[in-house]
Amino acid sequence: MARSVLVGAVAYTPNVVPIWEGIKDYFRGAPVEMDFVLFSNYERLVEALMAGWVDIAWNTNLAYVRTAGLTGGTARALAMRDTDATFRSVFVKRTGSDISSLADLVGKRIALGSKDSGQARILPLKFLADAGVTADNTTFVIFDSDVGKHGDTGRSELDALRAVLDDEADAAAIGVTTWQQLQDSGDVGVEQFWTSAEYSHCNFTALESLDRGVADDWVAHLMAMDWDNPEHRPILEMEGLTRWIEPAMAGYDSLFEAVEEQSVPLRW
Amino acid sequence: MVTDDTLRQRTMLVLDLMSAVGAVARGSTVRVAVQTPEQVGQVHDWCRASGNTVLAVHDDGVEIYRGSLTDASASLAPEQMPGYRLWLYTNFHCNLACDYCCVASSPRAEPRALTAAQVRELLRVAVAAGTREVFLTGGEPFLNPEIAEIAAAAVAAAPTVLLTNGMLLRGSRLSRLDEMPRDGLILQISVDSATPDLHDLHRGAGSWQRAIDGVRTAKEHGFDVRLAATLATDGSGDESALGDLCADLGLAEGELIVRRIAQQGAATRGIAISRATVVPEVCVTGRGIYWHPVAAADPQMQVADALADLSGAIDEIREEYLGYRRKGDILAATFPCA
Repeated sequence: MARSVLVGAVAYTPNVVPIWEGIKDYFRGAPVEMDFVLFSNYERLVEALMAGWVDIAWNTNLAYVRTAGLTGGTARALAMRDTDATFRSVFVKRTGSDISSLADLVGKRIALGSKDSGQARILPLKFLADAGVTADNTTFVIFDSDVGKHGDTGRSELDALRAVLDDEADAAAIGVTTWQQLQDSGDVGVEQFWTSAEYSHCNFTALESLDRGVADDWVAHLMAMDWDNPEHRPILEMEGLTRWIEPAMAGYDSLFEAVEEQSVPLRW
Repeated sequence: MVTDDTLRQRTMLVLDLMSAVGAVARGSTVRVAVQTPEQVGQVHDWCRASGNTVLAVHDDGVEIYRGSLTDASASLAPEQMPGYRLWLYTNFHCNLACDYCCVASSPRAEPRALTAAQVRELLRVAVAAGTREVFLTGGEPFLNPEIAEIAAAAVAAAPTVLLTNGMLLRGSRLSRLDEMPRDGLILQISVDSATPDLHDLHRGAGSWQRAIDGVRTAKEHGFDVRLAATLATDGSGDESALGDLCADLGLAEGELIVRRIAQQGAATRGIAISRATVVPEVCVTGRGIYWHPVAAADPQMQVADALADLSGAIDEIREEYLGYRRKGDILAATFPCA
């Protein structure tokens, strides 16, 4: 009997459909085949994984941390994109303003993204707190523009950037991918003044109950996707990676700490 | 010097582009509002840098395709590029008043004639822009007193087809015909049917016989001739019989062009014409530059007023046409039939 797994993911953009169709096609005939199901938000996805409705979840960093919390740490990260191991948050300001460090943000207005965005809200709040900048001495301008998508759409980050340009905020925290897109657009009216250390972002998460042999065979075939193979490359390009890698687990430490420090609930 | 406000507006547009394009699926289109030509240029730059494609620029916004499209012009043969073929309406008045005439020509129509000097300048510009075929039409071109000079200038520029009803090839007008070069010139004479009935129904009693006489005259004077029939889409025309007529007149096989009646000019019924639905063939009249000769009196199909704008008009027609082709590619990709 053919072995297969059901992978869950979130449809944060229509473009995830061709991505997952492509990955599903790639697994056809593999030792462990796969199908996929899309959810409208990461809370539903985590619940589906916990309930056993899906075998593997394509989780954001926050969804992984929540799953780990809900399973007492027994959930396993199976693989991630190379780009997931080097994610960063970037603080930007209006070009030419005199802010040069996080500490300079005391008494200022800081635009932050959605409450479930690791890169634009939860981790930036931790980085700020570590620098002595808290709600007691500064003003946070909040954009909960895409709650449920864990910041994947980038909408709340763009809203935060607009606030800086409109002088409704002095600085904004955004993810490095949004910042890179903005930089690629030529001269813009904002500039970065602080960048975080690298941390880990998305990963494929499974519960302890998933058969090890099944998981290992599925991961082995995933890792065999090759950037130089013209059949694989379009999928890798659309998903934003050059190769799948073993998960960089130390890269989640900062988010575990932030979730605990900010008492971010495991469910909401 | 880029001011702070300019930079702010530029960045806002980038954010709008990231929001709008980021929200749609690859292969979809989205419209982003712009207000100035500078912003249009910025959208072009952003699309180039981000791997997206500008489909069309409208007065109030830019239509963007998410993803890259192959260059629409790359799939065109040279002869398919707008401007390769140039139509010149030598004049609009005519000795006939056909009931389906796409520009409503008649003896009473305002001539709107091109002069030989105008034609020479137009041809100079057009050839530089890629024109390699010329078609002279009207109205009845033999009513233009400079038609011989015009035909000579056209033939000197590119292979030329002169459209005529063939009815005036006698007297001084036959002399004008005789002045024209034989090499590089084809006379295309309108004959709608193999017998007088249908032809005369649309064009007037006796017109069929005079057209046939004109075919014979032109051939006797050493010209290459082909027939062109204008037929309705209701099946009333007999193309097979027209083929037999060509053979009877000594015309080579294939020297028959069949055109459909368009809902333009005097025609109350026929194929509807618009810039989005008709492959352009650049057309110059005394009133301006048009998308296609079948709609050379339709304001909706006019591209430019001034004849001096021919080069720019050809560029404009090409860009708009390639935009339609790109859209067609998108539709084909987005809506497969099965």
